[in-house]
Amino acid sequence: MSAESVPTGASAVNGGPAADAVTRTGSVVEAVTDSGASTEGTLALPSGVPGDAALVGLRRQALELLTDLAGPVRRVRLDSGDAVLEVEWHSPGDAAHPTPPPPAASVVTAPPVAVPAAPPIAVPPVAVPAARHAVRSPIVGTFYRAPEPGAAPFVAIGDRVHPGQVVGIVEAMKLMNEVTADRAGRIAEVLADDGQPVEYDQPLLAVDPA
Amino acid sequence: MFSKVLIANRGEIALRVLRACRELGIRTAVVYSTADADSAAVRLADESVLIGPAASRRSYLNPAAIVEAARLVGAQAVHPGYGFLSEDADFAEICADNGLVFVGPSPQVMAALADKSSARALMSRAGLPLPPGSVAPVPTAADAARVAAEVGYPVIVKAAAGGGGRGMTVVSTPTELPRAYARTRAAAQIAFGDDRVYVERYLGSARHVEVQVLCDAHGNGVHLGTRDCSVQRRHQKLVEEAPAPALSAATLDAIASGALRGALDVGFTGAGTVEFLVDSAEQFHFLEINCRIQVEHPVTEMITGIDLVHEQLRLAAGRTLRWRQEEIVTNGVAVECRVNVEDPDRGFAPTPGRLERFVPPGGPFTRVDTHGYPGYVVGPHYDSLLAKVAVWAPDRELALNRLERALDEFEVAGPGVHTTIPFVRRVLDDAGFRKGRHCTGLVETLLADLPKQSRRNA
Repeated sequence: MSAESVPTGASAVNGGPAADAVTRTGSVVEAVTDSGASTEGTLALPSGVPGDAALVGLRRQALELLTDLAGPVRRVRLDSGDAVLEVEWHSPGDAAHPTPPPPAASVVTAPPVAVPAAPPIAVPPVAVPAARHAVRSPIVGTFYRAPEPGAAPFVAIGDRVHPGQVVGIVEAMKLMNEVTADRAGRIAEVLADDGQPVEYDQPLLAVDPA
Repeated sequence: MFSKVLIANRGEIALRVLRACRELGIRTAVVYSTADADSAAVRLADESVLIGPAASRRSYLNPAAIVEAARLVGAQAVHPGYGFLSEDADFAEICADNGLVFVGPSPQVMAALADKSSARALMSRAGLPLPPGSVAPVPTAADAARVAAEVGYPVIVKAAAGGGGRGMTVVSTPTELPRAYARTRAAAQIAFGDDRVYVERYLGSARHVEVQVLCDAHGNGVHLGTRDCSVQRRHQKLVEEAPAPALSAATLDAIASGALRGALDVGFTGAGTVEFLVDSAEQFHFLEINCRIQVEHPVTEMITGIDLVHEQLRLAAGRTLRWRQEEIVTNGVAVECRVNVEDPDRGFAPTPGRLERFVPPGGPFTRVDTHGYPGYVVGPHYDSLLAKVAVWAPDRELALNRLERALDEFEVAGPGVHTTIPFVRRVLDDAGFRKGRHCTGLVETLLADLPKQSRRNA
């Protein structure tokens, strides 16, 4: 994507009995796709909400929000100090390009804060499926999986990779441009064939983040 | 003829070339950056290739990406449009090395003409008059001072590698010269990687007159008459017309035939423009040759009925020119103005943004070349040209009335978006311009009048 990020719709609010609290408290946070790879939403709560109650509210909201998300979840963060809930998920068109804005996640409103105290929650009780990350082409050219014809490929499915590791090359006018992993994980899928012409930013490999 | 052409540009000119290809039955592929994914050219092209991020250095100015894109789609030729790589001799050579036809002159001719000082030498040899000044670059400030004293002030210090209005400084007095000389050299080094400059007499009250030429690879050439582009702000043209007004037929003919002779003499092929300055005594002086289609080419198309981009493609494919000079007939007057997304009240600062309303004009003999559409977001990454409005009429007065009428109809609105339309209207209202007696200083004069008017109105 360009520098102009595409606003997608995820927002939620706590502490308000109705959706109009969204505008009144000003606590709506836009979710943004960055480089088409993932989508994340951050939820800030109005101040003045007691910590434990806030956490319970957060947990409830997390569960509701997760069921409404447009793509698989990548990361959830709950914080009761300043009452923050962050959810990061993959947009549905992750591998496709250009990424269309995913449908807006619905606004979740929490129940009033007067809820029974609950034990502190360290991890959300949700199975978080590993979200895939795409390694993309740095230039338009020809993708090669191996350093030379007949050689073993740089990486195979299941291989662990670390940030900066060469996972392929894209040849443009006889110049070999290295394709490097930008985060740690395991190679989950090879998305472009050896010798295939590729565009700029085209997904070449999918990585399950470690 | 080619079966597929890669369009290595963006904006209105990408659409212009795309349309010409369509009309000739040529398949089109257009390159684009991430910032142009929603462009009209991408939507209309048979194929499109994402070649890089918004920064043009890594996309539209990246020869490797463009050659690879051509390979990817199997194009036989690359049309560079204007700007970007259109006058880059190295890029033309890279295309040739990769089996691609570059729609333009040969790399050798481009290299010779891109260097202004070598172009001046070549044109002088072809018998074209140069403005008084140095033919060769001046190596020291002392040489510059000597040349300036010879030709008389004001002078203009120009980068040999410059172009498009960049890399030049006007100097009014000898005391200013050493600093201006040093500054222009430094700026030229940064902008073009070449700090050679030359000095010539500055013709302040001159008109900018240029000649469209078409030359094939078999030694044939024609000129398509003159254009006047004297309405310029900082060497950027705002209003252009064809033919050049208020000059004698003898002068126009001498300029046009001189231009063609110069182009043929250097082995020029394709569509090109030979630019001149014409002083108040109707003396003309060679400025430069542009080896590409010009922004203002529509006015020539309207008075000749010749589609210049069609002809560019035919000539690039090696065809023989279809006309002899006596078969070129011009008819009537065409005027074009540029609609830039800029705020004339704030020093023509670009005003990118979303076009919530975009209603281009229509009507008889009215042509709008634009990549804009309602909802289009003008990004901050590229130049601010949004549309060109060109009209034709049997005579100049009617053409100017028609352009005013067209601008009345043109609606462009969006948060923070301004256009040059109000300023163009002031040009069209100017009495000197109406009579065709304006020169290149018109815009500065109008801008200088602006504060006075504001005070009067206050």
